[in-house]
This record gives sequence, C-alpha cells and structure tokens, in this order.
Amino acid sequence: MRWELSAEQADFRSVLADWLGGTCPPETLRGWLDAGDHASFEERFVCEGWFGVGSPEDLGGEGGGLVELALAAEELGRRAAPSAAWLGSMLALPALAGMPEAAKALLADGVTTVLASSAGVVPTAETGVTGDGSRLGGTVGTVLAADRARRLVVPVGGERPSLQLVEVDQPGVRIRLRALTDRSRSVADVELDGAHGTAIPLEGPEVLEAAALRAAVLVAADALGVMEQMLDSTVEYTLQRKQFAVPIGSFQAVKHAAAEMLVKVESARSIVYLAAASVEAGHPDAPLHAAAAKAQVCGAASAAADAALTLHGAIGYTWEHDLQIFYKRAKLDAELFGSPAAWNDRLADRLALVPGAPA
Amino acid sequence: MDFELTDDQSTIRDAVRDLAGKFDDQYWLEHDRDKQFPTEFYDALATGGWLGITTPEEYGGHGFGITEASILIEEVAKSGGGMNAASAIHLSIFGMHPVIKHGSDELKKRTLPRIVDGSLHVCFGVTEPGAGLDTTRITTFARREGDHYRVNGRKVWISKAVESEKVLLLTRTQKVDEVAKKTDGMTLFLTDLDRSRIDIRPIPKMGRNAVTSNELFIDDLMIPVEDRVGEEGKGFTYILDGLNPERMLVAAEALGLGRVALDRAVTYGNQREVFGRPIGMNQGLQFPLADSLARLDAAELVLRKATWLYDQGKPCGREANTAKYLCADAGFQAADRALQTHGGMGYSEEYNVARYFREARLLKIAPLSQEMVLNYLGSHVLGLPRSY
Repeated sequence: MRWELSAEQADFRSVLADWLGGTCPPETLRGWLDAGDHASFEERFVCEGWFGVGSPEDLGGEGGGLVELALAAEELGRRAAPSAAWLGSMLALPALAGMPEAAKALLADGVTTVLASSAGVVPTAETGVTGDGSRLGGTVGTVLAADRARRLVVPVGGERPSLQLVEVDQPGVRIRLRALTDRSRSVADVELDGAHGTAIPLEGPEVLEAAALRAAVLVAADALGVMEQMLDSTVEYTLQRKQFAVPIGSFQAVKHAAAEMLVKVESARSIVYLAAASVEAGHPDAPLHAAAAKAQVCGAASAAADAALTLHGAIGYTWEHDLQIFYKRAKLDAELFGSPAAWNDRLADRLALVPGAPA
Repeated sequence: MDFELTDDQSTIRDAVRDLAGKFDDQYWLEHDRDKQFPTEFYDALATGGWLGITTPEEYGGHGFGITEASILIEEVAKSGGGMNAASAIHLSIFGMHPVIKHGSDELKKRTLPRIVDGSLHVCFGVTEPGAGLDTTRITTFARREGDHYRVNGRKVWISKAVESEKVLLLTRTQKVDEVAKKTDGMTLFLTDLDRSRIDIRPIPKMGRNAVTSNELFIDDLMIPVEDRVGEEGKGFTYILDGLNPERMLVAAEALGLGRVALDRAVTYGNQREVFGRPIGMNQGLQFPLADSLARLDAAELVLRKATWLYDQGKPCGREANTAKYLCADAGFQAADRALQTHGGMGYSEEYNVARYFREARLLKIAPLSQEMVLNYLGSHVLGLPRSY
C-alpha cells in the first residue's frame, strides 16, 4: 500500500506552517497566554480563511476533509496555538450538516459554535441535559472552548440523545470558565436553566459517534504536532548543553532517549494520517483506526513529554522555558475527549474478546 | 537494625560457595544439554551434610532456619548451577516441612535421616491439570480401604518425579461438594512413587533440563495408612504452612541466578572490545547493568527481611510474596540484560547466559505466577476485593 499527501494537501500544510510561524511565534504566544487572550489568534485564524479548510463547500467551507483538518491540528499543536475554539467547532460540524445556515454562520461568518460535550470523556457520553427545545436544563462540565462560543450544539437526554442548537446569549445559559493547567486551551462549564434551543433534524447517536471519531483523530494529530516540536527542541538543547566538556547529546543514554521519541513520532504519523483518511472515507474499520490513533498517539506524546523534560534537566522545569507549554498540552491531549484507557476500551469492545470476569 | 550475617551464616555461605564452585560451567552445560540429573553435585552436598540444613537435629540434620537455607540455595544458584542445581536439592532443603511439623514419629524416623544423607529423593505432588493454582479444585482421590488408601488421579508439573523414590502427595479424601469448607477433605501422604501404579512422563520444556518436570498418571496406587502425614482431611493446611518458605527459597534462587548473570555480563562488558574500546563503556550497556545491580540489591533486602521474620516466628506473607515478586523480576531482568550484553554470543550455549535466561524466566511462573503474587498483595495486604 502506498499512501501520501496530495500535492494540494502538502502545499496546504507548508503554507499553514509558514503562516503559523509568523503569526504564532513563541514570544507572541507567551504574551497571549499570560494575558489569557485567545481571541487575537482566533480572529486572525478566521480572517485569513483557515477556518473553512477541511469542511464541505456546500456548508460554506473551503473543501477538503478530515485529512486537511488533521494536518491543521498537527501544525496548531506544533505551535501550541490557542485552537480550542477551532477544535470545538470542528466537532460540532457533523451536527450542523443538518442546519446548513448554522454551518455557514460558523464557517463563513465566524459564529463560533462548539459541541457541548465534556472535555474529559468520549463525546458519545451522556451530558445530563434534559428537557425539550423550549426549556433545557442541566450542567455540562468542562466543555472545550465553551467560553469562546456564541452557539452550542447540546446533546439532550439519555439512551438516544437528541441535538439542540442553543444560543449562548440568553438568560437561561450560564458559562463558567474553569482554569486549565494547559493555558493554550480553555474549558468552561455550561449551565442550562430553562434555556431555549432549536432542534437539529439529525439522529443524535450517529452524529455524536461521528464527532467522537473526529475528536480522536484531531486530538491525536494535535498530540503528534506537540510531540514533533518537543523532539526538535530537545535535540537542539542536547546539542547546546555541555557537561563534562561535551554536549550532553553525545551521551548514549541521551541519544537513545531521543531516538525513542523519534520512533514514537514516526509511528504516530503513520497512525494519524491513516485514521484521518479512514474516518473521512467511512471505512468499516474507521472506529478501530480512530481509537488506535487516540490511545496510541496521545499516550506516546505524554511519555515523550516526560522524556523531553528529563533530557532538559532542571531548565525544562522552569516557567521561563517553553517546554512547559508543550508538556502541558501533551498531558491535556492524553485526557482530552477520552483517555488512552477509554479508547482502548472502545477498541476492546470491537474485538472478539471474552468479557471481564464477573466480580 | 543489624544487616550482618551471623558467624554461622557467613560460614555456610562461604562453604557452599566453595563446594558448589567445584562444579564448573561445563558440568552444568552438559547436564542441561543431556537432560542428566546432577548426581555428583547432589552427592557432594549430601556428603557435606548440607541437605539436612533445616532438618531437626534429632533426625540427623542441623536445625537451621529458612535464612540459612535461603543463603545456601542462593549460593548454589549463584555458582552457575542455576535452577538445575537448586531444583536438585530444593525439596530436601525445606520441602519436608509438613512432615517435620505434622508427621508421625515413625514416619519421620523412617524418612528424615535418609533425606539428610541424600539416599531418599522426594518430589512434591500437588498441582493438577484441572486445578492450577486453585489447589482446592484438585480431584486426585484417595479412598480408604482397610489399612490402605486407593488413589486415582493425575498430577502435572511434578519436578524431579523421574529421579524420586517418594512423593509428598496431596489428595482429596472427600469431594469438594461434600465438605463445609473447600479447604477441608484434603489429605497429604509421603509415599513411594510405585512405578507399577504411577506412569511418569517427563514434559519437554524450555530449560532447567537437568531436572525433569513431569505428568503423573496414578492408577489404583495403594498407600499404607502409615504413609499419611498428620490427620485425614487436613492436608491443605499442612501444605499452606510451607508456602511462604517455598516462596523465599525460590526468591533466593532467582536472586542467585540474577547475580551470576550480572557477574558474567560485567566480565564480558570489560573484556569485549568493539569500536576500539570495551563495550561496557557504552552507557546503553552500562546503565542497564547498574540498574540491575540496584534492583537485585533491593530485592535481596526484602528477602532477608522475609526470612528473618519467618525465623522469628512472625507473620511474613507480605514479605515472602514481595521477595518472590521482586527477586524473580530482578533476576530475570539481569539475565535478559546479560544476554543482551553478550550480543550474538549470548545466544550461544557457550557463554551460559542463555541457560540462565531460560531458567530465570521460569521463576516468573513458578511456583506461582507474578500475577498471583499481586493478587495476594492486592487482596490480603491492601484489603482490596478479591479480583479472581
């Protein structure tokens, strides 16, 4: 089998990478993070037309699909860009396919619309919100980029949830910002008390399953970008830093640790693109590919973050060094929309394994 | 706290090291390769009086504790004899414990002096194909007929059965559904391995090939009542008494194997030159060996604590299990790293580390798997619900 990026995809990646290099360099990023300002980046990202890439043209997007989105996620991760609003929106998009006007508002007019699913679990999990369109109630904790959103796609009810499109700016909706260790993303609790919504005419479970697979692929791609950045900066550091009169990169134990990171990066790249193409094509094994990507890549990035910290020594532990930004992003990616264990469980559910022994 | 060995213990260690050291790599290589029981080695230990190290003095032994026994067997393994050497004598060193504690005077007089002088080889017949570590599920049945028991059943993984005259045999004298507690109704015997009634078939296996591991097919074996150990129906509790000491001895064997593997790796790392310098100068090889040293040392401390507790008559389940777990792990890891250090030569029989590797792997499985140790620690020590 031979699979590679198309010329357009490769171009897209390199142009986006260049743009991010100019727009989101480390010192600028630090300024935003210190000020808690995600809006400056988000506005530029929308204005320059990046937001619509990877979404269908008939919904107001620029065309392309999940592979383009994965490439974008990878580059955003590599820069630790404040991309929560973009990611939350990309997860809401399968629901908005049932409301083309709302999709166009999001993709063409920048009306940020995110999926109101808790960031700590797989998006298919129950939200606890109940009621009908005229009166919704309940709290969804730690929703990615809820503080950035003007609209929410809210799963309502238990077994077979329905979907409601909810305007944030109304009396029945309260958004309570939560503090994250990873300052390059944001989460907020969504409190609904008599909120009005508009029913989205699509089957909730199918839409949420699609959102879950997109979440798995895009968070894995983000983790891949973060991991690539940590590998590059770690190798650079080990060539600069001298001990016993030689660069520490000349020590075999250091070389081997860096080589292990490279192995993780290479295998992650193979899984992420495969999963993106598979989910995009609706391959029968797409749920397996997406689960493998989320569990393996995010787990590997978390371990690579630990290795990077070890190889940096004490400087990596300081606030002044940028490693902390990427370290925290990798750790959040591991838990974001389901831990490696949760996604391994989904994998196990689809394999012919015996059920666990009764307690 | 005192970490010094006693004078007796030091003497034992040095003397056993000296004696076991007379059997060189070639001896063990050949016996393992040819599946030959190490009779000369066994006889040398018997002649030196070492087989009776824990047997009470009134039966001709020395009456030492498990600490001394573990030091002895660690040295035996560490000599390069590994598990072939240890398994040849393992049961003589401490396996007769249920007999010493619960057997009749007549049975003890008849058997223990012969354990000490080496003329009586015994094996341990507990595990069965249908039961595994779930010992109360054994089905080998002993039915009383006058002054005999008639026994039928099957045993598996019976070490040294081919070489043994007698077997410590655990049976059921009541079926599991006829007793109030499933640990009741089990009876222990020390009896002859009557070849006309017991078919013994060695199991082809990965290593420790100087000592057989066998399947036993028992067909109308007649055991005289005098061969019963203690009371009928209480065999399980008698066996239970010996489990912690067994874990400690196995831990000591794993530790000895790890030590000899590490020694060989260090020697090779200093001698072998590639890219114009000793390979031990590579951090990729030196660090794993240094790490194994630290892990073996730590595992040894838990083992010493466990044997000390046992000899003081104190509870030692936690420590005995932990010692088995850590020694098996550290021992195998050291053997694996020794093999890696030797490169291609590690894979040849000539350098012996391949033999240590095969034997060390066994100790992560026997006499109980590492996972069962974690089950014990999880439920009995930490108080978590039983998970199996």
